[in-house]
Amino acid sequence: MENNEMIALNVTPKSKQVDREKAIRTVIRVITYVMLTIGAIILVFPYLWMVLTSFKTQPESISLTLKLFPEKFVTAAYSELWAKVPFLSGVKNTLIIEFSVIIVGTFVSTMAAFSFAKLKLRHKNFWLLFLMSGMMVPYAALMLPQYRAFQALNMTNTLWPLILPGFFGNISMMFFLIQYMKGISNSFFEAAKIDGASEMKQFLVIMLPLVKTAIAAQVIFWFIGIWNDFFAPEIYLDDKEKMTLQPLLQRINTDNSGGGNYPVIMAGAVLASIPMMVIYITCQKFFIESLAISGVKG
Amino acid sequence: MQFTVKQKRSPLEKRENIIAFLFILLPIIGFCVFTIGSMAFTFVFSFTSFNKLTGEITPLKNGLFENYKTLFTSVSHSKFFIGSIKNTVILLLSIPLSMMMGLITAGLLKLGEVKGAKIFQILYYVPTVSSAVALNIVWRYIFNDEFGIINTVLGLDIHWLGGGTGNGKYLRSAIIIKNSINGIGSAMIMYLAGMLNVPKDYYEAADIDGASKFRQFFSITLPLITPMTFYLLITGLIGGLQSYADSQVFAAGNSNAQTIVHFIWSRGIGGSAKNGYGLAASASILLATAIMIITVIQFKFSDKWVYEE
Repeated sequence: MENNEMIALNVTPKSKQVDREKAIRTVIRVITYVMLTIGAIILVFPYLWMVLTSFKTQPESISLTLKLFPEKFVTAAYSELWAKVPFLSGVKNTLIIEFSVIIVGTFVSTMAAFSFAKLKLRHKNFWLLFLMSGMMVPYAALMLPQYRAFQALNMTNTLWPLILPGFFGNISMMFFLIQYMKGISNSFFEAAKIDGASEMKQFLVIMLPLVKTAIAAQVIFWFIGIWNDFFAPEIYLDDKEKMTLQPLLQRINTDNSGGGNYPVIMAGAVLASIPMMVIYITCQKFFIESLAISGVKG
Repeated sequence: MQFTVKQKRSPLEKRENIIAFLFILLPIIGFCVFTIGSMAFTFVFSFTSFNKLTGEITPLKNGLFENYKTLFTSVSHSKFFIGSIKNTVILLLSIPLSMMMGLITAGLLKLGEVKGAKIFQILYYVPTVSSAVALNIVWRYIFNDEFGIINTVLGLDIHWLGGGTGNGKYLRSAIIIKNSINGIGSAMIMYLAGMLNVPKDYYEAADIDGASKFRQFFSITLPLITPMTFYLLITGLIGGLQSYADSQVFAAGNSNAQTIVHFIWSRGIGGSAKNGYGLAASASILLATAIMIITVIQFKFSDKWVYEE
């Protein structure tokens, strides 16, 4: 089979063969563009639909005849949302968790990663495996006693249950940074050791500046993860004023879908998702690169 | 001959050992408290009857495994628990579907030598970074029984959400459609990353042999990216088994699309079933066991099942 093909290819005059290849390439390219564009339209449509609906009037949003664009762009939904829902406190609560967890947690994770990657730690493999084994435990198996414990501490309906666990670091970030730090030459640290620099100083002065882009990439991931986090905040937070954005959005959804007030729901969805969209698009280089690294190694 | 001399650690080395340990101490404490501790409590509570309203803990009357038995045999609970397992497993169908579409789009991007490939990558990945709640809300609106755009545009009268009729037999189909579409981007990005790892000289050699691009894709690319296929399958499986937002937001708690985690939540934290807490604890132990087994299989066999250099 293969030989025949080869012979056939060799027999065909060169120019004809080139023409044929060119034609095939063009066809493939056209098919590719068409399919990819259709896919992109389907994928992006929900966001477009969300934005367009948020500028419609309520009767328009449940109209049975399809109108893609609102007859007149109205911002009534946004002002209604503003008046009825403590949206700003949702943003504030989310950001409190974001900053406290990410600042402390990143420091803790990076320090641990430095120890695993560069210091003489006894039973290193055991501890690494020990910590990583936690990644296979589903949150559902942990939430029941955690909920009772935070309830006993009078911490439900506060942000503490969402902040405290984050202070102890993030294992997947730590694992990623260990891999990254292993690639950094030991000579930096040996020289510092000879100069009598303490481990803390080696970490702060030498390692941190060398890994700051890797940390930044992980921080962006974590930031988006916390912003979009729904399950734990939904469990712990009951009052709208105490809620982070995602449970608040779900509350907006359940409060308004009975009455079919879709513009308000969509306005909430727009406001809760656009900031991450902006961060993602401005930082997309980080995403694709670090995904590629962690994915291939994982 | 080789002597193993037990070297005494120098004071300097001892000092570094201690400091190195202090550096990892917080993650270890966190892990012991929030993971091992919680897990142990869940385990213990799965063998007791705990009344979450009064806080009373009583031993089980009908044997140690009463909660586990109740999950599978009692008239009032087994229907929902077994149903939630069924739903979760059915919803996993979106994983191979989005992987397949992700592979096709990745392959097209590679084969077609597309200009602006980057823009497609960015667009396709957007759902992965979006809030699951916002996405579910929009898709719920798109699938709406009366005025959803899918029904109006395609001229269908499918009660996707089961609103008016009170049942929701199409809920799972709707969730599978939604998740397959939204999962394309991450599968595509991972496949593209996997394709970067295929040595270029393989393609060059194939070019010299006159193998077509399609042939190259099926005979070189596809076998060499099996590690990625395996990785995507396992992570998708683990994530899918823990799905919650689809039940809570998209299905609005409808039992036709209740997942295992939603069941655990509804018995253990929400709801008021008297023996709910113990049942939820047992269900979550079973779920954790399943996920751990999958993870161990991944570790053990990943080098046997897949191509690696």
